[in-house]
Amino acid sequence: MTDTAIWNFRQLAHHELDGFGGIGEGMSIQIAKDGRRILWLAHESAPKNFTAVDVSDPRAPKLVARADLPQSHMRSNSLETVGDILAVAYQTTKPGLQPAGFELFDISVPENPRSITFFDCSGPHSRGVHQLWFADGEYIHMSSGAPDFIPSHPRDDQFYRVIDVKNPSKPVEVGRWWLPGTREGDSEPPPERHPEGADTGFRPHNTNVYPERPDRAYLGYIDGGLVILDIADMAYPKMVARWDYHPPYHGFTHTVVPFFDRNLYIVSDECVRMEGGDWPKLVWIVDGRHEANPVPISTCPLPPLEAFQRRGGRYGAHNLYENVPKPNAWKSDRIVLGTFFNGGLRAYDTSNPYQPQEVGYFVPAPPERAPTGSIQINDVFVDERAVVYTVDRHVGGLYTLEMDF
Amino acid sequence: MRWTSDLGSGAPFAGKEPLPFGRRRKRPRGPRLPVVVVTGFLGSGKTTLIRALLDKPEGAGTAVVVNEYGEIGIDHALLRSSSDATVLLGNGCLCCNVRSDLQETMRELFADRARGAVPSFERVLIETSGLADPGPVLQTFATDRALGREFHLQALICVVDAVAGMTNLEEMPEARRQAALADRVVVSKSDLAEPGAAELLIAQIAALNPAPIGIARNGEIEPAFLLDEPLAARRSFELGGGGHSHGLTSFSLVFDEPLSWPAFEQAMAVLAALRGPDLLRVKGLLAIAECRGPVVVHFVQHVAHPPIELEDWPDEDRRSRLVFITRGLARAAVEQLFAGVAAVAASETAQRG
Repeated sequence: MTDTAIWNFRQLAHHELDGFGGIGEGMSIQIAKDGRRILWLAHESAPKNFTAVDVSDPRAPKLVARADLPQSHMRSNSLETVGDILAVAYQTTKPGLQPAGFELFDISVPENPRSITFFDCSGPHSRGVHQLWFADGEYIHMSSGAPDFIPSHPRDDQFYRVIDVKNPSKPVEVGRWWLPGTREGDSEPPPERHPEGADTGFRPHNTNVYPERPDRAYLGYIDGGLVILDIADMAYPKMVARWDYHPPYHGFTHTVVPFFDRNLYIVSDECVRMEGGDWPKLVWIVDGRHEANPVPISTCPLPPLEAFQRRGGRYGAHNLYENVPKPNAWKSDRIVLGTFFNGGLRAYDTSNPYQPQEVGYFVPAPPERAPTGSIQINDVFVDERAVVYTVDRHVGGLYTLEMDF
Repeated sequence: MRWTSDLGSGAPFAGKEPLPFGRRRKRPRGPRLPVVVVTGFLGSGKTTLIRALLDKPEGAGTAVVVNEYGEIGIDHALLRSSSDATVLLGNGCLCCNVRSDLQETMRELFADRARGAVPSFERVLIETSGLADPGPVLQTFATDRALGREFHLQALICVVDAVAGMTNLEEMPEARRQAALADRVVVSKSDLAEPGAAELLIAQIAALNPAPIGIARNGEIEPAFLLDEPLAARRSFELGGGGHSHGLTSFSLVFDEPLSWPAFEQAMAVLAALRGPDLLRVKGLLAIAECRGPVVVHFVQHVAHPPIELEDWPDEDRRSRLVFITRGLARAAVEQLFAGVAAVAASETAQRG
């Protein structure tokens, strides 16, 4: 049994979420009307939909609400809140199943989330929504399939969609974009597949949009690399930059976080194979001075593969803290916080972007009944108090921390 | 000696608020692992003091590096042997010696910790051999090329025993340097000494070094006295020059007005060029005109630690304070040098304006 390894973080609390501690990659803070600070968490997989935790006192998190999924053949791995509206992504295990789309809830009483509407994205070739970005209260930017979309390859079933939710009871699609060649009927040829076994699809994962550049969407396009879209006219997004580093790297570009004032992008891969099968999965520092030509200049240093390869489960990059453009979220254009599965949560100082420096880590001991025998830290959120929330993918639940670097 | 940031204003990735010394830190060590170095003459009680610390809860998570392989039995601690013969030659200027064994040991510790091969320790404690000159050890932590990127010298502790300490300070230059360079001094064996001997010794140490002096009881002392980060000197003082100091002088300078970094850097460069070997240690907390937070500086002979900008001042006093521990450098001369460089820098600005 490996002990918890912690450096320059202070653990405040650990909550296993009463036996349902498998959390996906949706973490969002709501300040409830009564002043309570509620952390909404998306579950990695069925049977649970989402869980709400009162983190007003980060040393004593309390379970507030939890919802079940209507079907076992689906997952709701991603969510966001704006004010008292919660948006939850629904993805099915196979195309053609339902419900696939997203659901909006009224969470003005956190104990009793009430459904406002369900936006249907199901279709013969659609698994629905894997991830959604909802920050301004007006638009949801997401990675989704659609009833009318036929991908040229089944693994490219999701694409970028913008949905207007200004009237939450009547969401309307306003725009969409896909990598040319990934839709049947495109004039461009389909992209060359990654090798069988490492083919994870040409589709977006995270679709981030920030108030600093409301005319840009920053997409981690999985096997397609980094994609930047001009969305000044949301009805007709245009690609303005792409950085494709696969091969020789193994695909699955996950998140793009711009540090606007510093002309940098922080780009993460997702490790999707066990025991180093797709090593190295990295966090890249990319020079964004010339928008059309993103240039990678360094990666965040990680302990060697041998150190974590045999601990069980995945070891490599995954989610980043995304400088979420909401009032109750922390902002930094120097510190990068990333999650690395059994490599835990890691913090980097990018003051010198050519030599990012590790400044802290938190690798919890394997939770009880961990199916991989190891921790699998999956996602991270930081609130404006600089309290860090990080979650395990399978059973470990929620850890709250303070930064000390 | 010069340390110039490549991330200053106008650099492509500086952002809206250029930070010439990188991200502001909550504390001088930033994210680096703290290192406590314990020096002290042969038989002064270093090992006893360390063992007592490790037995306390505050001492948990300490990796221990022993300069000469000791016989201390330490539970829950790591023991590494690090012997470097060159530092045992405690005379002359050793500032250019590279303590390669210590560096290798420390690097290995850091790597082992990162890959989980050793427990995730929180600090390193180095017990130096009794004859070691602390100067080269200080320099080892000064630069990124050595260990300064991963480790931060949190405190240099000197143990002086009340029985033999007085004689050692009088007769052994190594013992004097150890006491003069320390951030804190521990007086040991006061219960074994003649009545009044400890008081005399404390007065003698205070003449060498303005650092806090603590008295060990039964071989142990409050853990915080050993482990906490010392703040830059808060008071003005002038010591040394007397019959007991053997040419070692300590003094502090206080500047009421914020300093310009280029002028400060130039003044230090002149000092280092002319009297480098005699600048045993210079530590300070500076109000720099170009920075919002106070800037921590640290020089050991001709080696400058990279400056660190802090988020906040430790107290209400916003004046720059600089402590000099030198071999025979006169306070007045240093003061005049700083005043002269500042005047030249200011006149240049006036002309341009």
